[in-house]
Amino acid sequence: MRCMKHFVVAALIATATMGGLLANGTKEGASSASAGKQTTLNWAVWDINSTAYYKPIIDAYEVKNPNVKINMVDLGSADFMTALQTQLASGSSEFDVVTIKDIPGYNNLVKKNMVVNLNDYIKKDGVDTNLYGGTAEQISVDGKLYALPFRSDFWVIFYNKALFDKAGVPYPTNDMTFEQYDALARKMTSGNGANKVYGAHYHTWRSTVQLFGILDGKHVITQPPYDYLKPYYEMVLSEQKDGICQNYATLKASSLHYSGQFQNGTVAMMNMGSWYIATLIQKIKNGEADAAKEWGIVKYPHAQGVAPGTTLGTITSLSISQGSKQKDAAWDFVKFVTSPECAAVIAKTGTIPAIMSDKVVDEISSMDGFPADANSKEALHVAKAYLEMPLHDKAGQIETVLNQYHDAIITGNISVDDGLKKMAEDVRKVLGQN
Amino acid sequence: MQVESNASKIRQTIMYLLLIACSALMVLPFLWMLSASVKLDKDVFSFPIDWIPAHPRWANYRDIWTTIPLGTFIRNTVKLTLIVTFLQLFTSSFAAYAFSKLHFRGRDTLFLGYVATIAMPWQVYMVPQFVMMSKMGLNNTHLAIILLQAFSAFGVFMMKQFYTSIPTELCEAARVDGMTEYGIYFKIMLPLSKPALSTLTIFTFVNTWNDFLGPYIYLTREKLKTIAIGLRMFIGQYSQEYGLIMAASVVTLVPVVVVFLSLQKYFVQGIANTGLKG
Amino acid sequence: MQAKQKAELRRHLVAYSFIAPNFIGFALFTLAPMVFAFILAFLDWDGSPYNPMKFVGLENFIRLSDDSQFAAAFKNTIIYTIATVPLTLVMALVIALLLNRKMRGRDFFRTVSFFPYVASMVAVTAVWNMLFNPGMGPINQFLASIGVQNPPGWSTDKDWAMATVVLFSVWKYMGYYMIIYLAGLQGVNTELYEAANLDGCNGWQRFWNVTLPQLSPTTFFILIMLVVQCFKVYDIVYMITQGGPGTATLVMVYDIYNKAFVNSTFGLASAEAMVLFLLVLAVTLIQFGVQKKQEV
Repeated sequence: MRCMKHFVVAALIATATMGGLLANGTKEGASSASAGKQTTLNWAVWDINSTAYYKPIIDAYEVKNPNVKINMVDLGSADFMTALQTQLASGSSEFDVVTIKDIPGYNNLVKKNMVVNLNDYIKKDGVDTNLYGGTAEQISVDGKLYALPFRSDFWVIFYNKALFDKAGVPYPTNDMTFEQYDALARKMTSGNGANKVYGAHYHTWRSTVQLFGILDGKHVITQPPYDYLKPYYEMVLSEQKDGICQNYATLKASSLHYSGQFQNGTVAMMNMGSWYIATLIQKIKNGEADAAKEWGIVKYPHAQGVAPGTTLGTITSLSISQGSKQKDAAWDFVKFVTSPECAAVIAKTGTIPAIMSDKVVDEISSMDGFPADANSKEALHVAKAYLEMPLHDKAGQIETVLNQYHDAIITGNISVDDGLKKMAEDVRKVLGQN
Repeated sequence: MQVESNASKIRQTIMYLLLIACSALMVLPFLWMLSASVKLDKDVFSFPIDWIPAHPRWANYRDIWTTIPLGTFIRNTVKLTLIVTFLQLFTSSFAAYAFSKLHFRGRDTLFLGYVATIAMPWQVYMVPQFVMMSKMGLNNTHLAIILLQAFSAFGVFMMKQFYTSIPTELCEAARVDGMTEYGIYFKIMLPLSKPALSTLTIFTFVNTWNDFLGPYIYLTREKLKTIAIGLRMFIGQYSQEYGLIMAASVVTLVPVVVVFLSLQKYFVQGIANTGLKG
Repeated sequence: MQAKQKAELRRHLVAYSFIAPNFIGFALFTLAPMVFAFILAFLDWDGSPYNPMKFVGLENFIRLSDDSQFAAAFKNTIIYTIATVPLTLVMALVIALLLNRKMRGRDFFRTVSFFPYVASMVAVTAVWNMLFNPGMGPINQFLASIGVQNPPGWSTDKDWAMATVVLFSVWKYMGYYMIIYLAGLQGVNTELYEAANLDGCNGWQRFWNVTLPQLSPTTFFILIMLVVQCFKVYDIVYMITQGGPGTATLVMVYDIYNKAFVNSTFGLASAEAMVLFLLVLAVTLIQFGVQKKQEV
């Protein structure tokens, strides 16, 4: 019966390991509960290590609420919204507070009832949604708010002062038309090989090129036809052809990050969201961006007849998970993060909070590492910000189509005319499927 | 005779040249990875390729241990991989024995069902599976990954192919001697299947070690994460730091190569014995 | 009679006890969700635990028939499979034949060719993307240095993207199948070689008439595994092209992922998966049929 003994031993080992694991799993859950009155809120975020404001926010909150512990769960930035939806699909109480990264994802969460309607909370605590400068309206669904914004980024032009000085070209200004911007980019391009300087840089997102087109306020990106995007695609394609900016294909194939490009001093101007201000300051402090030490920002270029300061907006907001067993505690945290008080904390890290005021502008522009010139401070004033993707029932599907044709057009795999025509066709199809 | 040996020499040379060309194709990316892992980010793309950097930046290998909790990731991955591989080997070979050497009702149908499921992409049943696991309270436990991976149809399929090629007479003789089926499995089949088991070991080991999507969904707590997911998140956050990415990649590659080398002798033999007689 | 029945029952129970450990785990954690996914193909569900599932009959399949993403993905998956399968098969066989001889450094060569398979996808695609970078990658810099005027845009050119993905797949998997071929070669009866030599066969004839027929079970196995693997391709595309440019490399599993996780149409995604499943099943059954015929 030696064989039988073997079998028993093997089976024992198997059950023992499984049992051990089970014990491991349950032990974890127990430790948080046994701490008594202490509440732990799980907060879904991305990129913990490279984001400056999480810690100050949590510290500020925990000081005020010693009984609450905020535990961040990093779902990674690349697939954040899909990962979040998968996590919430189980209806479990794993998450209490969730960050909303983009509008299509928010739209999905709302449709799926995965996040809580905040209207009652807002009313009860008298939160003034007018403080958010119109962004709250942009994310309300049939008058119901499922999230409150705490960051409200807008797009600006970052430029490298040293490169402009070296070329003897005057800095960009807060009032540039697209023609002036294009001309400036061409003027700033020089050199070859290791000395190459690109006048402009467009990251691989569709927003960097496609959304120049919506700034005149006459068009909505979810609504075909898209002929109005043509001049902007042509501008950037011709810049690519003339070596004014780096090739989209090169950037995408190597998943090159825009920050590296700007920081190594080969880019004179780059259109990017205001979130990069904090990162850049940090990188310079760490000595990783010596070539871009002297930098500045100016307002986004604009079309003829449009007010300067009209730009793209990206809001980041907080919601409460439907599955959460501590919704009231979660709301308290959400209320804090989206409050004017926390706006100051966020601003201190160089990040633009959803609640803007002259005080916040002062806070950001006076922070250590922010450019000293008056134009850079002035660039923080936004005239009008359009969301990168407006709230729409089919936002996810439309986004997929917009991305596909952006990719095809900008790599030259389809002509601008054909690409925009097909883009309109496919979006119409999505809309018709209602 | 002289002519012939000359011809064979030439053939030999051509063969070696071909092989060397092929191997170069296989290892070149790895050499490049190795060389990039000790470079500064800005030098990674310099051309012509500087295969052996004049000032290797070994600090990359030190930095990755502090930038990400690589030690924890490796510990988790080793633990998961060992348990999954053990369970996979045991349950697969156990079931495969019945499928190949025992007769019972529904055997062929059941086996066909097993094989058919290999064609189903995981992305389709990922969410139902996740919901089920969560309801069982297994989200954020290593047990979830183990249950997910330890009982694969592939293992049963492969082991069955192997057992079929072992002459049935061996079992019959043992039965006549009064041995139980369990006895035959442990005393005759298992020792004979060492090669096949090592084959399955390397397949399972490689798969579990490199699995990304499973841990990404099930393990959201930092201290539970595995290397594949850790590496991905690292690339996500530090996409411009090529030197570090490559150093991390090299480190994660080492254990797999070691396992392969130590099993490779059995490995070739193992598949040979699987017979694969259709 | 009684005793015989009892023995029969016992025999069955023993057999089931062998299968049970794997089958219970498999049925519970893999088969059950799979069956659920099958059912989903006939439902309308957005993946939310708070929203109801609605039975819609064949509507998901009807919607698929007019879905341009699905059409592109279907076509690309077929193209990818048709290109990858024979290339991988031939490369694997050629290298296996070379490495089957007694020669110096054989173990080294075998190990090296298995390298791409064991390495993590994340790591090798990162290297691959850098090497094949259209602008600053060493491959194109090399092509430029030998005077190629317009080096291909690889993963970013719609005419080359699929080729890039196929090339990568062949590179990644040929070592794996080479090992299986190598194993098959160990089982080839060498006595037949001598007979063939006596008949005055040259190397090629010997290969064609003696080696290849004996390898046919191996080839059959590899063919099935390769086809299944190609139809299910996802991660390679995700890491190299993300389905682009445009929809040039959008494959079915990628589209399934989009439909389920981006568009929240789980029913539609399941319906597409069903199409994929039936496709694989059909190809596999045909292969089984051909194999049977050859045996007769």
